[in-house]
Amino acid sequence: MALTDFTTPISNWDAQAVLHFARRAGFGITPEHATTLAAQDPVTVINGWVNGSVAAAPNPSDGASLFSTVLANQADVVTQGQVTANTTVPGAVSVPAVPAPHGFLTEGTDAWRNSLSAGQAQCAWRMQYAPFSFKERMALFWHNLFATGHHKVNNIALLLKQYELFRSNGLGSFGDLLVAVSKDPAMALWLDSVSNNAAGTSAPNENYAREAMELYSLGVDNGYNQTDITQLARALSGWSFVIPNASWVVNPASPNQFTAADGIFTVYQGQTLPANTRGWYGGTPANLSRMHPTGATNDITTINLQWQSGLNLVTAAAGQAPGENALRSILTGRATECSEFLAKRLLLHFVTPAFSTQDYQDLASVIRSAGFDLAAVLKTLLASTYFFMPDKRYALVEGPVSWIVRAARLLGPDLNTADTQNPKGFPAWRVITNPYFDQAGMKLLDPSGPNGWHEHSAWLNSNTMRYRTKLAAALALAETYNTGAETLTLFPTSVDAWFPVAPTTALAVHDRLVALLQPAAIPTAVRDAWLAALWPSGFTWDATAKTKARELAFLLLCSPFAQLY
Amino acid sequence: MSTRREFLLTAGATSMALSGLSACGGSSASGSTVIPPTPLPAVPILVIINIDGGYDWLNVMPPISGANATTYHDLRPSLKIDPATVLDLGNGVGLNSDLTGLGELSQQGRVAWLPGIGMANFSLSHFTAIDLWGQGAATPADSGWLGRFADSAFNAAGDVLRGITVTSDLPIMLKGGNRSFVSITNSSGYVFPAKLTGNAIGAPYDATLLENGLASAVNAASPYPGYLLASVPTKLFLDAQNQFGTNGQLPARTPTVLYPGDAGYPEKRLDGGNLSASLSNQLKLIAQMIASGLPGQVYFARLGGWDTHSNQATDHPNLQRVLGGAIRAFYDDLKSISTTSGMAQDRLMVLGYSEFGRRVKENNGGTDHGTAGLAFCLGNAVKGGLYGSYPDLTSLDANGNMRYSATADFRSLYATVLDRWLGQATTTTNTLLGSNYPRFGFL
Repeated sequence: MALTDFTTPISNWDAQAVLHFARRAGFGITPEHATTLAAQDPVTVINGWVNGSVAAAPNPSDGASLFSTVLANQADVVTQGQVTANTTVPGAVSVPAVPAPHGFLTEGTDAWRNSLSAGQAQCAWRMQYAPFSFKERMALFWHNLFATGHHKVNNIALLLKQYELFRSNGLGSFGDLLVAVSKDPAMALWLDSVSNNAAGTSAPNENYAREAMELYSLGVDNGYNQTDITQLARALSGWSFVIPNASWVVNPASPNQFTAADGIFTVYQGQTLPANTRGWYGGTPANLSRMHPTGATNDITTINLQWQSGLNLVTAAAGQAPGENALRSILTGRATECSEFLAKRLLLHFVTPAFSTQDYQDLASVIRSAGFDLAAVLKTLLASTYFFMPDKRYALVEGPVSWIVRAARLLGPDLNTADTQNPKGFPAWRVITNPYFDQAGMKLLDPSGPNGWHEHSAWLNSNTMRYRTKLAAALALAETYNTGAETLTLFPTSVDAWFPVAPTTALAVHDRLVALLQPAAIPTAVRDAWLAALWPSGFTWDATAKTKARELAFLLLCSPFAQLY
Repeated sequence: MSTRREFLLTAGATSMALSGLSACGGSSASGSTVIPPTPLPAVPILVIINIDGGYDWLNVMPPISGANATTYHDLRPSLKIDPATVLDLGNGVGLNSDLTGLGELSQQGRVAWLPGIGMANFSLSHFTAIDLWGQGAATPADSGWLGRFADSAFNAAGDVLRGITVTSDLPIMLKGGNRSFVSITNSSGYVFPAKLTGNAIGAPYDATLLENGLASAVNAASPYPGYLLASVPTKLFLDAQNQFGTNGQLPARTPTVLYPGDAGYPEKRLDGGNLSASLSNQLKLIAQMIASGLPGQVYFARLGGWDTHSNQATDHPNLQRVLGGAIRAFYDDLKSISTTSGMAQDRLMVLGYSEFGRRVKENNGGTDHGTAGLAFCLGNAVKGGLYGSYPDLTSLDANGNMRYSATADFRSLYATVLDRWLGQATTTTNTLLGSNYPRFGFL
């Protein structure tokens, strides 16, 4: 490959190319919508997709307004029982149901509920229905890169705040994103920045500084050493947050329990606590304890990083927090390493696991030329000749969350339809996400470690495949589940809706399901074996045939071909 | 003056092992006496316990006398373990009493401790270190030492339940070139096709048709490079679920002892709450698998949470109680299980390891990433005692980390296990590990 393969846009833009693009850069689109987009200029479509002006669904009523309204008021209606406090949430006892809007009951004044499954469900629901998919796809990408987990943070409100950061900043400058993540409360708890405020003679806590370089910007041992880690940790000492009193939420069912609904980045350096706030731990000291080391702020005015010795932290650019220039110097002092790190991650997530050294170096040069502007980089990459090459299609194993969300999008009703149904036609994501996302290999909002998920081949083992088949059963075979208060159809789907034109042959059933689910090519022998078993003689589009259509959808979803995308 | 404690490495040092053992206390105040090792079992079971996050083993096995102890106390002003509270293992080191139940087994001579174990070029990255420990070779590779063992030893057409991880992931340690371990996380509903929230699929759907249909898809030919990534684990699952219990269900089993996290289990967290049942649940499942007669030879379990950059004074004792307590309960529980190859406890060896130890100097209530580790092997056939090389804390490297001793290569541990426990020929072991590493003498 050559650099021009990255900088030259696609020339053979057709419906199959559109579908490939939408699987990778979103969560799939219907074949009908792909035909519409294929008739338009590819660069215009792709730029619009990245900018958030080209939608993933054709129905104009699936616009941002409907999405926001349903998200706030109706999305979790299928688990209405959980709006009361009779849940497994610690401390919960009977309190009155919460009137809408409630947005999955984890943010704002509902933060005390602190429900991982509710947070996961909100993310999955947004992936499925957000009218402009790319923001959600990028948020998922960043969540894997800056992987932060509930089992330590133990605060879904803060985790959702971080996830929102990925939506809002995920297409700006990478340097800005790195700084913003470094100031994020969930990250501060996750990697102990809140403890990097050492008193006395203690050393700085290097947990975040290490991972900021190893996992978030450079890659392991790629252009830094142990001294750089401790120096960066010194530069970032005192980076923590305070909690506005208004975000200090009491559990109404257990008034002794509190949690934080939000946090504000603050550098602890001995100043008085801002008005109407408290420290991250909830205490109310008169002063925020000083940056490391106590009482000697001049000790950190100069940081010596290997690539840019003598960074002066006092004279950092206007508007920067003390130490911020040390973090930003990663992108300048180690521009090659940082851009190559990003290039590899983008290639692995969006394009192919089989990229060459030349490939990632070429993309890295694109990243540097764009000044680490992520929107510009993604527009170039996703429109490139390289991205659309035949060997890039179905080259990746799809992650389990993307896999099930995409299937739900293509087999389930669209937002407008789902919202008008009674009961609502949304998947019961709150039941499905936890613990099944975990067993399928991606416990959203709760990675086991800060290195996130390895993607591609690491998505699949005997257990994750087992749970993909169970998820496929729930979706394709119309599984129901009794919560104790109500019986839910986990994925409300209609076979009739899959077939706007009634099929007249078994092959037509197969071809329509393949068009919707878009697996890698099914070998003819496999297809024929399936159809012969399902329809050994004759074909009539009746209730029995519709049951068999569900079985065929199930087989397609379980098959190795549908794990690739 | 060097304070490094060189212990025992080779098979020829059995008598030294026993002398080391006697230094562990021999007859203790609690009345435990050394029990001679049992013969190696004909059909051994290996249970790997991954102590995930890099555990601060210096506080598990702290130095209690000599220059090492002085340095340790200087560098750990708030986190140091009081020598008066530990079990004296001899050689100037002790065992933390929070490692519930393992002190007694150590006194009985059932535990081989390998302090200082590791590699020459330690990585302070969790993820690189985990990969290196998993691969069993100092250079990157795509397979692990137990995965390669599976490639070599498992029947290519069967043996799908011979290597089992009870974690939902498949660690690199268990990945082979053409064989991998199967991952099974519970004892019921292990069938295909199955509902998400329940067990078998029934009418109006045709379960046999669906199973045959998927079988045809995983045995197909496909031009896509990724096809095998999906078809191989699917096939493994399909084969395994046909051999797992009855209709995907193992016989129910009630443990004969209490495990950490159980109601009534005497040890609690420091704050009085119940201990985590995370490791207990995994080991109970393994016990159930053994009792049901599954042909598992190697099992893998994991206890995370050891990355104690902060709050170590609270978290570390709690974690040790879970680790020690769960292993001890499992060991005791297996005494009640009779298998066709003998009493399960006599077939058992537990191998515990972590990707690295932690920095000697404490840091604001926690410890940063460090080097040398502490592994251990526990079982009735083990010759207990101290093996390897306890690091010299008075001579740390430029980062303040412990230096490596060539007498404690982690692959020597693997070689010992492959040869003596898993019955591999010496040449096979050397091939699996890429070189001929000295063996430890604990088996």
